[in-house]
Amino acid sequence: MDTDDKNNLKLGTFVLLGLILLVVSLFYVGNRNSLFSSGIQLKARFSNINGLQQGSNVLYSGVNAGTVKSIKLLNSRTIEVTLLMKKEIVSKIPVNSKIAIGTDGLMGNKLLNITPARINAGMVKDGDYLLVEKTVSIDEILTTLSRSNENIYIVSESLKNLTSRLEQSETLNLLEKKELSENLQASLSNIRTTTENAKKFTLTLKEIANDIHSGKGAAGLLLTNKAFSDDLQTTLSNLKETTASINEASVQINLLSTGLNSSLQEGKGPIPALLKDSLLTKKINLSLDNIEKSTHNFNQNMEAIKQSFLFRGYFKKQDKKNKEKNN
Amino acid sequence: MKLTMTVLQFLEDTGNLSRFTARYFAIGFRKPFETRELFRQCYNIGYKSFTLVSLTSLIIGLVLTMQLRPSLVKYGVESRLPIMVGIAIIREIGPVVAALIFAGKIASSIGAELGSMKVTEQIDAMEVSGTNPFKYLVATRVLACTIMLPILIVMADAIALVGAFIGINIQGVTSLRLFFSEIFNSLELTDILPSYIKTYFFGFVIGIVGAYKGYNAVKGTRGVGNAANSAVVLASVLIFIIDLLAVQITEILGLN
Amino acid sequence: MENSLTGSINLTEGRKAVIIIENLSKQFGNHKVLVNLNLTVFEEENVVILGKSGCGKSVLIKCIIGLIKPQRGHIFVTGTDITSIKYDKMDQMRTKIGFLFQSNAIYDSMTVRENLEFPLRRNRVNISQDQINKLVCEALENVGLLHTIDMMPSELSGGMLKRIALARIIILKPKIILYDEPTSGLDPVTAAEIENLILELKKKYHTTSIIISHDMNCVKKTADRVILLLDGSCYAAGTYADFQNSNDINIKQFFQ
Repeated sequence: MDTDDKNNLKLGTFVLLGLILLVVSLFYVGNRNSLFSSGIQLKARFSNINGLQQGSNVLYSGVNAGTVKSIKLLNSRTIEVTLLMKKEIVSKIPVNSKIAIGTDGLMGNKLLNITPARINAGMVKDGDYLLVEKTVSIDEILTTLSRSNENIYIVSESLKNLTSRLEQSETLNLLEKKELSENLQASLSNIRTTTENAKKFTLTLKEIANDIHSGKGAAGLLLTNKAFSDDLQTTLSNLKETTASINEASVQINLLSTGLNSSLQEGKGPIPALLKDSLLTKKINLSLDNIEKSTHNFNQNMEAIKQSFLFRGYFKKQDKKNKEKNN
Repeated sequence: MKLTMTVLQFLEDTGNLSRFTARYFAIGFRKPFETRELFRQCYNIGYKSFTLVSLTSLIIGLVLTMQLRPSLVKYGVESRLPIMVGIAIIREIGPVVAALIFAGKIASSIGAELGSMKVTEQIDAMEVSGTNPFKYLVATRVLACTIMLPILIVMADAIALVGAFIGINIQGVTSLRLFFSEIFNSLELTDILPSYIKTYFFGFVIGIVGAYKGYNAVKGTRGVGNAANSAVVLASVLIFIIDLLAVQITEILGLN
Repeated sequence: MENSLTGSINLTEGRKAVIIIENLSKQFGNHKVLVNLNLTVFEEENVVILGKSGCGKSVLIKCIIGLIKPQRGHIFVTGTDITSIKYDKMDQMRTKIGFLFQSNAIYDSMTVRENLEFPLRRNRVNISQDQINKLVCEALENVGLLHTIDMMPSELSGGMLKRIALARIIILKPKIILYDEPTSGLDPVTAAEIENLILELKKKYHTTSIIISHDMNCVKKTADRVILLLDGSCYAAGTYADFQNSNDINIKQFFQ
């Protein structure tokens, strides 16, 4: 029967093709599971294998190198994992290589990663133990992450409280009020005029002092009296001190007011202003007090000098000059 | 009354089918083997179904891929498409679809062929001429189904994967090599072996049901038609039942 | 109960009994088909069994060939009790018995040649292709249909199929041929051809025949002895002439 033979030929080809396909795919998959190949065994002891399974892959520097053959719980803390490795790869794994449990992708299957040792001290042999490297598992990462989350929550909560308290705080309101800076500016201009006055006065004083030194006029005669000149000297030194302190104060105030001005104008956050706050106000208060005191003292001094007969003439002259100038 | 009759009828049918199956195992493998007829049936049943089965498998692979893609894209795991499709085809879709198509073609043809032979006394004639018709007609066909369906399904799986490859390349690009190595790397022996073993049962059931229905066809014009029709229906249902059993057994054996 | 119309035939003298049926009983459910039937058929004798439809004629000869198992009684064919015979032995017995089915039972999936080759290949293990071809041609020549050798059964007429079926029987050169209504459904001319063929075969191969018929022309032409079956047992026996001349109502019915 010719047709029968022909059909049988076709049938045979078909069956053979199917069987080859099956065998190849089984071999392909089976080979990965190391069922058909006799490999070399390596061992490693873990305290936690994080769900590693029989048949899980073993990678050596990322290269598929074998599978997990068996997992045995030796005692309450130790789990021995036996690996079935491909021969050709085992021959290239150095002794003291480290093994760690990893994950295929973020949520994938567990696998074992072997990283080669730096120092080459020969290659591993059948039955050797590999060093276990403790790694962070996804679980641990997640627990840490949740802890930090909690912390962040607490921090942000307190930050929230702080800002709300800041908004209600009076110091801030004070700082934001225009009056304060205006006052400050006003006092600054006062100080300036005072200092100018003081300058003028000192200059005049110098002239007088020169005159006196050379013994010109009645005053010069008078001043030969030692007691009087001592008196005058203390007055002058007092005056010097006062001016110095005024100067100091004015510089400080200047700094402060410019700082304040810029912070107000640029609208800097409340926190730096706040940080300056208590110290600043104290300083300002102190300076203002000082200035007030100084100017008061100075004025008193000046009044005293004016009243003193020795300088009456001089001041009158000055007044006249001023009047002439103004006219 | 009618219900009890139906139930009794069903039980009787089940009993007869079991008996028929037992007879297959008792007689089917006794010498002399009907080797020549077996090869002929393998050709008729297996080889001639290849075109049909491969066409449907190609389409199902393609369609499955295209249907799965949108949801995978939605979850951002589009790159897992080959793995998902591969596992679905190898484990379930490939075998079941191929078996159902095979049942539609083969169970009906066996049912009709044996049914008409029964009705026209050809089976008796065979018996009279010194041939055991059960061995010659039933055993060869059942065995041919049992042998050929697994091979067909292996081929069908491969073709379905090619279909899936085409489906992936419609909206994306992947190389054939990457596609297959991705699938095979994701497959375990526990994926392939149980689904391969169950195809033997599929083939056996399709053969035995078709032969049973045909062998017991009643005379009359509707007898043969009924035999063919009920063979397909019963075989298809049994395929699903076996599929269910197979998944449960693999679960129990821890092979899932 | 058996009417003795056998005056003109010597039943025992010098002749060998080929088929002996003793107390044969068969019932389907509650319907008794054969009841304590006794019959002896001798060598080279054409026995025609007459009877109404459904009276158990077909069941009787199917019991002889072993297609139906009787409940009680024994059937001895050439000395062997086929009711208690193993299946393998039965196959051997069947090569000695030819059975012409009412529906011809030609294997419609095979050509005429394959139909004729089938019993040869099944029963003669060490037969060469040349011998097969020779025997096939010889058998077809005997029925005058050598030109149809490579045709399919569907291309042939009913009369031709009947003759092919006959050729398929004689190819094994059986000692006994059982004819199940050989002329039913045929036109008188074709029926006459078949009747002639039956007589020719008897002459040529010295066969013993049991012919079931209710076509009186056929009975007249082929019968050496006629048996009337009524209510499951032999009602009357005799030659055609005996029956023709009988006044029994049950016999007379057939001559109207």
